[in-house]
Amino acid sequence: MKAHNVAVIGVGQTEFRSRSDNQTYAELAQEAVALALVDANLQPEEIDAVVFSMAPTTFMGVADADKWAADYIWARGKPFMRVHTGGATGGSALQAAHAHVASGQYGTVLVVGADRITETPDAQFVLNLIWDAFYEQDFALNTVTMTALATQRYMHKYGTTERQYANVVVRARRNALNNPSAHLKGAIDIDAVLASPRISWPYKLFDICPRSAGAAAVVITSETLARERCTRPAFITGTAGVSNTIFMGDRMGPHADTDFADFAELRQAARECFRQAGITDPLRELQTVEIYDPFSSFQFPQLESLGFCKPGTAQQLSDEGAFDMDGAIAVNPSGGTLCTNPIGVTGLVRAAEAARQVMGRSAAMQVKNVHNALATAIGGSTQFFTVTMLSDEPRRAPAA
Amino acid sequence: MSKSPATPEPRTFPGEWHVRYNYPVGDVGAHFFDALKEKRIVATRCSASDMTYLPPRAYCERSFEKCDGYVDAGMEGTIEAATIVSAAFDNLPTPPYAIAYVRLDGVSTAMVNFVRGMDLSDVPAAAAKLQPGTRVRVEFIDAPQGRITDFHYVLAAA
Amino acid sequence: MDVYVMGVAIHPAADAIGDLRLEEMAYRTARAALDNAGVERREIDHLTLAASDEIDARGISSMLLAAPSGGYLKDEMRVTDSGLAGLHLGAMRAAAGHLQLGLVVSSNQSSVVPLEDIARMRGEPFFLRPVGLNFAIADGLFAGAVATRYAISAATAAERVLERMRSAARNSRAVARTLPRLDDIAGSPCLAYPLRAGHRAPVTDGAVAMVLASGEWLRAHPQHRPLARIAGMAWGVDRYQLDAERLAGLDIFQRGLDDALSRAGLESVDELEVVELEAQNAWADVAFSQALGASARVSVSPSGGAWAQNPFFCTGLLNAAEAALQVAGQAGGHQVDGARRALAHGVSGFAQQTHGFVVMEGIAA
Repeated sequence: MKAHNVAVIGVGQTEFRSRSDNQTYAELAQEAVALALVDANLQPEEIDAVVFSMAPTTFMGVADADKWAADYIWARGKPFMRVHTGGATGGSALQAAHAHVASGQYGTVLVVGADRITETPDAQFVLNLIWDAFYEQDFALNTVTMTALATQRYMHKYGTTERQYANVVVRARRNALNNPSAHLKGAIDIDAVLASPRISWPYKLFDICPRSAGAAAVVITSETLARERCTRPAFITGTAGVSNTIFMGDRMGPHADTDFADFAELRQAARECFRQAGITDPLRELQTVEIYDPFSSFQFPQLESLGFCKPGTAQQLSDEGAFDMDGAIAVNPSGGTLCTNPIGVTGLVRAAEAARQVMGRSAAMQVKNVHNALATAIGGSTQFFTVTMLSDEPRRAPAA
Repeated sequence: MSKSPATPEPRTFPGEWHVRYNYPVGDVGAHFFDALKEKRIVATRCSASDMTYLPPRAYCERSFEKCDGYVDAGMEGTIEAATIVSAAFDNLPTPPYAIAYVRLDGVSTAMVNFVRGMDLSDVPAAAAKLQPGTRVRVEFIDAPQGRITDFHYVLAAA
Repeated sequence: MDVYVMGVAIHPAADAIGDLRLEEMAYRTARAALDNAGVERREIDHLTLAASDEIDARGISSMLLAAPSGGYLKDEMRVTDSGLAGLHLGAMRAAAGHLQLGLVVSSNQSSVVPLEDIARMRGEPFFLRPVGLNFAIADGLFAGAVATRYAISAATAAERVLERMRSAARNSRAVARTLPRLDDIAGSPCLAYPLRAGHRAPVTDGAVAMVLASGEWLRAHPQHRPLARIAGMAWGVDRYQLDAERLAGLDIFQRGLDDALSRAGLESVDELEVVELEAQNAWADVAFSQALGASARVSVSPSGGAWAQNPFFCTGLLNAAEAALQVAGQAGGHQVDGARRALAHGVSGFAQQTHGFVVMEGIAA
């Protein structure tokens, strides 16, 4: 079966802030779509199908908000579906859209999402509700405590220090100075991170992402149209995902298939993604990655499980500057999720930033000579993982 | 985008969701919660995969077969992961408090609950006492109700 | 389309399934679909879930559902629109080139939630929610609009209820019900004029799962016989804002129908033997049947439609399962003789904002 090659030909993002009070949710989504259409040099009627990227609607308070937004994003009359995999949503939505085109069902697909986490003051309470009602909700599990548990385990395994995590925050905020869309940005130092209020050991406030409002959109199409419309499309050369059980306790101890601390599921997803893209040495063949990091501790296990370095070595490489903009591989030139987290869209933003790097449209964030860029997204109880490769040339069957 | 010096208050409309549910717990869950009233923690077992599960499952996620046995979990276990919460989250317990995933003896998977009876005033010191590998004991409340909060963990060395 | 249905499972239906938790329903159905297809969980490489957080009464429903539905360490993703949307995405994934054998799973245990209150929360908060819209009210508006546009009477609606229920009585998978009298229907409480309680198909608990294979997988495993080939699919969303045209125009229904038929290489609905419509009430059933424009040779909703069982969120996927079983000759008591091509229809959103279609084609012996 000859699958179609698929490429990103345009992206759009709004500025990400705590609130966007001068627009409704639907208007916010519209803004991102308008930006993406302009970037792709397309009219709305040239979009054949829409995939809406939205995680729990409990934060912005309108169930099935995608159906409301449909009127605003020129979707009327078009095939339309919403994808939701928690924090991994944006990554899954792009992969779902990829299937729309690769299968031959549709030609040009718009992926769009918006989120506004501060519409409710009860965000962490909402996040407590994702756990099993009988066995886990009583224990104040939310995304902060959940990942604090994994981090404590990782630190115990590899001797990582709080300072090493703080350095990740410093790098992220510094990179974000070059990102006009980023929510948080600035020149801070390690001591500032360490001095910020304790939240859940080992996290302090600055180790944790902000709650962001904003929208993003990506236009993808088949290779033929991409080459007609775009000087340098970003081909989706690898798309893989893996999901685990919700029960984090299954992912600890000698009977676990995957260790919760290592994000080991990514080994499986990366293997498949790299196979599709023909990548055998990620550190050498990729120039940049946009990885999903709502917490400062997320980068090391991901980079290790993705195969950029051996387990337990990322912290040292980070300290040595290997992940800086001019390092061996530029990690999160945009500032990453640590600087901007509009949950339902974040995974899409990672892919959009990786695509722009390949397309040469990253302006002040641009890494030189990007041939391959990777985007990840993670959701649930670090349960849902997506890995997407963007490249300057397709790797699969010839143009459809 | 420039803002005028005195930005007016945003026009917002209030909303509140208060939705009530009654969740069917299933026979396996019912068996577990009934056993809590007898101060027993009952795990489910899958003979195909040799896995013993807490929280109990009716099916085995590894072998994709139904779980075919019950096993009483030991009253001691090992910490797999833990944290101490310092922040006051809306509608969650008043900090500070500690939670841990503990693999009880005889069980393949770990289950979360509060760790009580610790001095949490010095967070890093307390965190050092909750490292993975630390042994804990199960402690039941006097009159268990058939809810997961009927028991909690305490440090075995305490 | 080079995608095949290898197995199907339909969970036993009931007005309320109270002795299983939702995840157990999903496990049983996913497992039964694998068994029906004669494949093991380790052979599948992807899972497409369809679930709504609000209807499942869970913060992120797929967190709990992924592993029981067969997704443990598989490439899994979820749509929130409807069970049928899950099939649309699952089929595209099976045709995308890098995935070969997948599960589509969707379940509904809405007996434990206040479904109409959940619907109310789908109203945008400024103009709609203060007035209040839910499924019943939206369906009442729809009923009024099609009554006017197509001169459908309440009597016709009531008769359609009985017709569907009589078909349901031949369907071994239906929830057993006593046939009401026409007077009972006409005299049932008015919910939102002209929609009466007696016009609505009762909502039930249930679940549906399917195993899908790419053509590549099938050719590499010739010992497996598919139930059906997915010949064509189409779906489309209408405006969120309601007005007379949006309600009664049935524009999206028509376009989706035409597109699905065209992709299946068919010129007319009369080339089908079976159509399973998702109509949540008799007014919709009459309006969609008319819009279908099928001749008498086509059996419409031989299962009894939503009056047989109505696992609300996945009724469209149930229709797709019925369509696959029909063309495989395995539908049971309500089998349509010689069924070779069957169309499944599903809806979602207020007053059917979305219509979706799948054409199933039988495999030549």
